[in-house]
Amino acid sequence: MKCKLFLTAAVVLVLWVEGLSQSVKRAADNYADFTIGAAKYQGSVALSIVHSWRFCKNRKLGIGIGGRFTSYFGANQYYSTAPAQLTSGSSSPLIIFKDNLPANIDTFLVKSPQVNSVNVSINLDYRFSKKVAAGFNIDAIGFSFGGSRSGNYRNRTSGKMSEASPTAFNILLISDNDRGSLNSEFYGKYFLNDRWALKLGAQFLFTEYTTATKVQQLPTANDRFRNKSLLFCLGIAYKFKS
Amino acid sequence: MKILPFVFICVALVKCKPENTTPTKPATTSSFDATKATLLKNGMFVTVSHGSTTGTVSLYDQAGIKFVVFDPFLSPSGPDLKVYLSKDVSATDYIRIGKLQSTMGRQVYAVPGTPLIKDYHYIHIWCEAFSVEFAHAEVK
Repeated sequence: MKCKLFLTAAVVLVLWVEGLSQSVKRAADNYADFTIGAAKYQGSVALSIVHSWRFCKNRKLGIGIGGRFTSYFGANQYYSTAPAQLTSGSSSPLIIFKDNLPANIDTFLVKSPQVNSVNVSINLDYRFSKKVAAGFNIDAIGFSFGGSRSGNYRNRTSGKMSEASPTAFNILLISDNDRGSLNSEFYGKYFLNDRWALKLGAQFLFTEYTTATKVQQLPTANDRFRNKSLLFCLGIAYKFKS
Repeated sequence: MKILPFVFICVALVKCKPENTTPTKPATTSSFDATKATLLKNGMFVTVSHGSTTGTVSLYDQAGIKFVVFDPFLSPSGPDLKVYLSKDVSATDYIRIGKLQSTMGRQVYAVPGTPLIKDYHYIHIWCEAFSVEFAHAEVK
């Protein structure tokens, strides 16, 4: 049900933006963006293509939709119990205001995680001047793929070794209701010329594994484990000819 | 794609800190009394990786509480070393006995809970932070 609602909202958003752009003949940019991210024992590479409609005076505000491929890799990364029903005791949208329930959250240590994802992204940016802009983007829906990895599930007093694969379906919902692997970025951009720009910022990347069996049994059975990574990122963007 | 090696270098340059390194002095405290305990199983450690681990491990029952005793014992140091009691050599299903008390000498661990010891056949020395098994012993 929530998935359908989200899809409907996404379609409405796209149509609304498309309608706006056509009715007032909005200017639009098309650009490609290559970003790398790094943090302790982990890194990422992301390639995205975005169509961004320009709004406001001097076309300073951009609202866009795009597609992004993200590849995440790491070493000895801890994945935690993912479902909101376990982490917060509820799957209501209001869980954003609830504290986590540590007693329900177990860990799954993956020795060499590697997750690839392809997602539809939502993009916002604001140009402060001809040379400087800031923006935010977030993955909304897509799919993930990657090889099976061995991991060590553990709770306080016991554990299990298990194989796990990237959770196939990705969707952005609210808080821990999210599912799968989703990338997001806050960044600043410096335009070198009309076509090329450098990008610097922070990347908040969720990756998720599903274990071969439901290794967590308490308080309810669970096979989904999520890693939330904050990475320093830098990249380069290229604007295509209009 | 020339930028890809840079990503890997950035990751590799992040310093590896050996956190929670195991003490090297022999462990001392325990409520275990071998004269009041019954030996259930024992075995010898076999090195799996990282230097050489040697020693004997025994499982005892003392008044219903199960104890794991290393005596003698010698292991290389490492970060985040833990002791597991498991059902098979791959530690597919295990109980966390505790943090490795010392890299040398006699040490005693109380097994948490009330597991069916007859189902457990291996003791492992496991580096949790890096998912590396240092050694294991088959106990029978």
